[in-house]
Amino acid sequence: MTTYKLNIFKVILPSVLLLGSCKKFLDVNKNINDPIAVPVAILLPDAEKNLANSLAIGGGLSQDLAVYTHQMSTREAPDQYGVTGGDFNVQNAWSTFYDGALVSLDEIIKAATPAGNFKYAGIAKILKAYGCSQFVDVFGDIPFTEANKFKDGVQFAKFDASKDIYPALIAMINEGLADISNKAVNPKVPKEDDVIYGGDTTKWKKAANTIKLKLYTQVRKVQNVQADVTALLATPANLINTTAESFLLPYGPQGATDDRNPGFGDYFATQRANHISPWFYGILKGYNPNIFTSIADPRVPYYFYNQMKATTATREGNQTEYRDGAFVSIYFGSVGPDRDRNQQGTISVMGMYPVGGRYDQGDGLNVNATSGTGAAPYRFITYADRLYLEAELINVGLAPGDAKTKLQAAIKESFRQVDYVITTYVKPSQTVPSLIGTGLDTAYTRKVLTTYDAASADKKLEIIMTEKWISSYGSAVDQYTDYRRTTYPVLFDPRNAAMAPGGFVQPPINGDPVNPNPPPQKAVPVKQSLAFPLSLPWSTSELEKNQAAPAQKNPQTYKVFWQQP
Amino acid sequence: MFTLVCMLLLFCAMAFSQTRAITGTIRDAKGEPVPFATVKIKGGKSGVSADANGKFSINAKQGDVLVVSATDITQKEITVGSGNTVEVEVIRSQASLSEVVVTASGIRRTDKALGYAISKVDPDALLQKSEPDMLKGLQGKVAGVDIRSSQGTPGAATRIQIRGNASFQSTQPLIVVDGVPYSNTQLTTSSQTSGGTAYGSGIANLDPNDIATMNVLKGVAASSLYGSRAAAGVILITTKSGSASRNKKGIGVNVRSSVSWETVANLPQYQNDYGTGANFGYSNSNGSWGPSFASLDSIPAWPDYKAAYPDLFPSANIKYRAYPNNVKDLFKTGMLYENSVGITGGDDKSSVALTLSNLTQSGYIQNSDYGRNNVGIGAQTKLKDWITVGGNFSYVRSKQKGGYFGENQVDGASSLFARTLFLGRNWDLNLPYQDRNGVPLTPNGGGQFDNPRWAALNNVATTFEERTIAGARTEIRVNNWIRINYNFGANTSAINRREITEINSRAAEGLGRLVVDNFRQQELESVLLLTLNPKLNDDFDLRVIFGNEINQRTTTRQYATGSQFIVPGLYTLDNTKQQTFNPSGDTYSRRRLLGYYTDITLGYKNYAFLNVSGRVDKSSTLPVKNNTYFYPQASLSLVFTDALNIKTNWLDYGKVRASWARVGNDANPNSIEDVFNVGTNFLGQATASRSGTTFDPNLTPEFTNEIEVGTNLSFWKKRINLDLSVYRKISTDLIAPVSLPESAGYTQLYTNFGEISNKGIEIDLTVRPIQTKSFNWDIHGAFTKNKNIVVKLKDGIERFATGGVLTSISPYFEAGLPYGYLRGTVSVRDANGNLLINPATGGMIVSDDQAMIGDPNPDYKLGITNSFSYKGFFLSALFDMTKGGDMYSVTVSSELGRGVTKDTRDRETSWVIPGVYGDPSTKQPILLGGKTVPNQTRITTNDLYFTSSATFATFAINTATEWNVYDATVYRLREVTLGYEIPKSLFGKLPINGATISLSGRNLWFIAPNFPKYSNFDPEVNSFGATNIQGIELSAAPTTRRYGVNLNVTF
Repeated sequence: MTTYKLNIFKVILPSVLLLGSCKKFLDVNKNINDPIAVPVAILLPDAEKNLANSLAIGGGLSQDLAVYTHQMSTREAPDQYGVTGGDFNVQNAWSTFYDGALVSLDEIIKAATPAGNFKYAGIAKILKAYGCSQFVDVFGDIPFTEANKFKDGVQFAKFDASKDIYPALIAMINEGLADISNKAVNPKVPKEDDVIYGGDTTKWKKAANTIKLKLYTQVRKVQNVQADVTALLATPANLINTTAESFLLPYGPQGATDDRNPGFGDYFATQRANHISPWFYGILKGYNPNIFTSIADPRVPYYFYNQMKATTATREGNQTEYRDGAFVSIYFGSVGPDRDRNQQGTISVMGMYPVGGRYDQGDGLNVNATSGTGAAPYRFITYADRLYLEAELINVGLAPGDAKTKLQAAIKESFRQVDYVITTYVKPSQTVPSLIGTGLDTAYTRKVLTTYDAASADKKLEIIMTEKWISSYGSAVDQYTDYRRTTYPVLFDPRNAAMAPGGFVQPPINGDPVNPNPPPQKAVPVKQSLAFPLSLPWSTSELEKNQAAPAQKNPQTYKVFWQQP
Repeated sequence: MFTLVCMLLLFCAMAFSQTRAITGTIRDAKGEPVPFATVKIKGGKSGVSADANGKFSINAKQGDVLVVSATDITQKEITVGSGNTVEVEVIRSQASLSEVVVTASGIRRTDKALGYAISKVDPDALLQKSEPDMLKGLQGKVAGVDIRSSQGTPGAATRIQIRGNASFQSTQPLIVVDGVPYSNTQLTTSSQTSGGTAYGSGIANLDPNDIATMNVLKGVAASSLYGSRAAAGVILITTKSGSASRNKKGIGVNVRSSVSWETVANLPQYQNDYGTGANFGYSNSNGSWGPSFASLDSIPAWPDYKAAYPDLFPSANIKYRAYPNNVKDLFKTGMLYENSVGITGGDDKSSVALTLSNLTQSGYIQNSDYGRNNVGIGAQTKLKDWITVGGNFSYVRSKQKGGYFGENQVDGASSLFARTLFLGRNWDLNLPYQDRNGVPLTPNGGGQFDNPRWAALNNVATTFEERTIAGARTEIRVNNWIRINYNFGANTSAINRREITEINSRAAEGLGRLVVDNFRQQELESVLLLTLNPKLNDDFDLRVIFGNEINQRTTTRQYATGSQFIVPGLYTLDNTKQQTFNPSGDTYSRRRLLGYYTDITLGYKNYAFLNVSGRVDKSSTLPVKNNTYFYPQASLSLVFTDALNIKTNWLDYGKVRASWARVGNDANPNSIEDVFNVGTNFLGQATASRSGTTFDPNLTPEFTNEIEVGTNLSFWKKRINLDLSVYRKISTDLIAPVSLPESAGYTQLYTNFGEISNKGIEIDLTVRPIQTKSFNWDIHGAFTKNKNIVVKLKDGIERFATGGVLTSISPYFEAGLPYGYLRGTVSVRDANGNLLINPATGGMIVSDDQAMIGDPNPDYKLGITNSFSYKGFFLSALFDMTKGGDMYSVTVSSELGRGVTKDTRDRETSWVIPGVYGDPSTKQPILLGGKTVPNQTRITTNDLYFTSSATFATFAINTATEWNVYDATVYRLREVTLGYEIPKSLFGKLPINGATISLSGRNLWFIAPNFPKYSNFDPEVNSFGATNIQGIELSAAPTTRRYGVNLNVTF
């Protein structure tokens, strides 16, 4: 028995111990599900998409800002100018940019530069500069020099002053331009993976220069930009110069993958949050007594889709607040009794041009996921935008030329842009007439220019900025910036006695043809308890986790550096 | 693996010499072995001790009288006959205090020697109580254990927690079945905030009928030998098939059969005076704030119904009337059938056990059901006197089916309970639930919610789970003081889940969706024990154990979504237009752990015991430099009544114990290197992004330290038994993801940080006021109090959410605050605590900042079981209560906000919210002459509970979440059983050994006094199942009440 006992100790226990010391046995922790490095070509489309997502309606900055610029109205936080740092869209836009777009762009820059893939590095720098500029414009001070530096030991990125960031952005764009033009052989060059320009570096150069033109224009009141602007305008061909050169992110349809514009989400939302602002609608219809009065804008059926027919009766219990025939919406700042009624199936929604929804041919359908392709692009800067920038610069004497001619070209380009987006990207199954060539466009332009001719210099600027505002529908970030810089277009103010006498605003008297019986439509009480916000509050999620972050701002008083003191 | 097989072969190949002796087994009347009894030859001096399985071996000759004695049995004498083996049946004295308890790694110890608390659960207490879930059956019965159910639908998860949460991640105890860890994972496929179903947890697959013993190791000292996963306690189960202990008769057959009826436990009491609308005006809306039924005769016919079925609505109007039973009519009576057959047999060398069972349950909601079939078989045989081998195998297949829950307000959600408990009082849900094209219809239309009848039939998740357990074990007795045990087992579970959202649902864009989740988890466990029990002298008793554990866990998962059904009615990924893999949709991970341990017990005169143990783990999941870690345990037990020779009338037995232990825990697999994630294509281009998680390259194990003291006392001839424990458990260097600011470029850093403390007291008290021959009355009380505080986090991390629920409320961790406290939106108050009131509206002002609004951890729990028996009759009733703990309830806020319960019936009045006027933009009080101004603005009852926006916040809907958090104290009559044991004589010559018939009732009565009176709300629901997110209810399915009839026959 003794022998066997010895065997046990000699054989079994050592064998177990041997097993235990075997390193291979424990070497099973390698992640075999995910790569530890990836080529830049698959980071680029992710970066471009995330940049657009962080700005677009439907989870990006434009979602709240389109209410602030009175193109949309809502029952949610942006109504009453009440967006807080805890707002979903603010937090989502912030994280989509910082944790999404910026990270991928930095990874591209980091990997592409030593590998000699300068075109990738250059594109990434231009995109990064553009993205950061948009966030500066909306938030003011933001993490910049220390952003995405965790691996360099920065857990808490400081917020750089907005006035310090702008020069760095110009420098970054110039670096990007230099990289793109670098004559060295690039082992890898972007092609279809660059979903914005398909790797066309000429277009990238034009976009980069136009971004610079826009940045200079935005700071014109706090900085002498004459020389910079003049230099850029000296070679117009180096700027975005045709419709097809517009700087935009194409979204796609719901196909093998879901590539739709996030703003199209309202078509299948279980609770539609986006109403069309009656202020915006009224200006387009020519209802506004102060601007474009009685000038009907032919873009209306491309811009909005009415789920009702003009003759459909409103359901009792679902009375509408604002109805103009088929058009149904609610007012900004409304405290009316019908504001919160369920209008899921009756409100007018964003149309084909902004989000790839449905063109309004008066069929009054309840929209759903199949009502459109959702393939409208998010427009960063269009050729039309460039023309409006020029018109503004001429108007304020920073550029030579005739502002009216520029405005005319800009309006024409705005119409062409609608046709271009629909035929090139949205590709609807509906038959959609083109705007250009119908005569409607020229008639409209003529009327607008007639009022322009009669206007004072300041009113002329208002007309330019209002046309730009109409043209850029769907991309609200620059609209918000333009309004804060120029105070145009004039926005709805519930406290303005002319716009809302006695705190009531009157929808079109006979706007509801069916109900109540007989008309008129009731006036709607409106209130505004907060002043117009001069910037958006920072994401609470960032502030709570970043010790280097400043205390939350008062958005009503906090200015971005380019706003006049 | 190869090495393991070799080891097994080695064991088998070895041979030992035999000893000539009388061997025997000591069993009690139930056939259970009686361990560690002393066996002496009458008149002789020396004796032997039986082992943990009641087996002994003694040199004796024919005619000798063996005296068998132990503290908890009546002394028994038996004369040695001609055979070499004897079977000794002894009678256990009542309330034995020196029972044997199975402790960590299956090591058996006498209760006396335990320096820590272990609760032994009688498996019979879980059976035939109209409760198929073993864990739910434990509720209120064990001190120190907090068990919470989730949804009232069949198969929903149960959360169990022992002595609080000791980690920021999983805090579920380790469940060990037949020596192999049993994964109790809740596989969450879709977010339970916005539409996941009532996911089950793994342990529901265990057949309670097959449980032979069950012990709850509560403290770290008790469980530390289990290593890494033991910080949260251990539930140790041996199954009948796994232990295969022999029935004393040789063959035993047991048949159990039960049928139960289940209904919704309680519905709110609804008002039936007002229909839908606002401020007494009619509208076709959700809230029942419209005109009284007396004041309005008719309303326009439901537009969608009228359009779909014009013939049903010949007139433009329909009668405006209440449908008092419209909620009740949505539910049916569910059924629960449980049948099982258990067979045991064998001879004195071999035994075999077989358990077969079937469970079929249909819930009170249409199309929600659960079914389970179990087969378990096990056998063991004594090959030679010195070697015993055994093996077991069990297979279970379960199926769970049910609808989706969650917050219907989240975009894209379709909750089965979106409106179910707060239907407009004038809604008739007995109208057709869909139009002729299958589009769901609701009275108010607009796709605000899917008709619940339609949703129950069409939006259904089905989960199949198959689990296989296979085990082999051997015991070798080298000599009478050296023993080797080896146990190898595999526990494999495969889950196949399909979540269908039908075309025309408001979810999935109305186009239909199928989510397929295939998940497989396998756990292999090898345990080798060497036990040395050398004879020292009469006073000292020494036992030394060396152990080795090898564990491997492998997980694979494929998880994909198909969108837009092509051909209606066909639910396959092939039949969808678009297929995407969910994030981490195709993954594999493996982890391994090696543990070496020793456990030394030194007993002195059978009244003082010192136990020390230590374990070294090597884990594959930690960086190599930190992957080896050691943790010790020491405990002391002193039976002071024996030591001091106390023999009084009132004190029979007294033991004090103390322990200190530490246990280490490793990380999740694949937590070492940063990666990129390949995403779905965009515009045909492949995409990837950097993963948001970065890993700390210097990860170290997390540790939990616990000090526990306790006592076991027995008074007045065991009429009163007390088991009391007090503990303090500190967990440090916890491994968890720390949230990073977005500007850091990563969302989280997986690292060590923080400290969590648990302090608590547990009391088990048994009182037997009446003990006569024919009538007995027992009272058992279990009291649990645990305080669970997050002591500290990391510098720079003020707090982080356990899992985002909603932006307006989530559970958080924060230093100095209770674990997982609820943080959400609050109303603004002035410096004196007065609510600020918006003068324009008379409503409150919601703060921009969030604050703590609740603590989901209960103050204490108490369960009291009263058992009576009179001749063959028995009656037992379990009353339990949970004091404190907060719950955020969407159901209650909706019932109030929609004005449907009697709580809001008396509404023809107006209200002033107590507070002072404030400025909604500055959030400061408005001062007049330097003084605050008391609110005088009156608001309607409607506005008091429902306002359209947060700018006019009041108390139920559209307000700060703080107002929808309630104290979840609840008192409950949980379980009542009335039965009769039919005397054997009645069966005459039938081969029936015994039969019991009983009636059972579950959840017969409850009251949660701090919820609105007429909501009748049962806070024993939770939307997040067995996860860390507690205290949040998002339109969950209410609890059930069951009545059952049970029959138990043994042959």
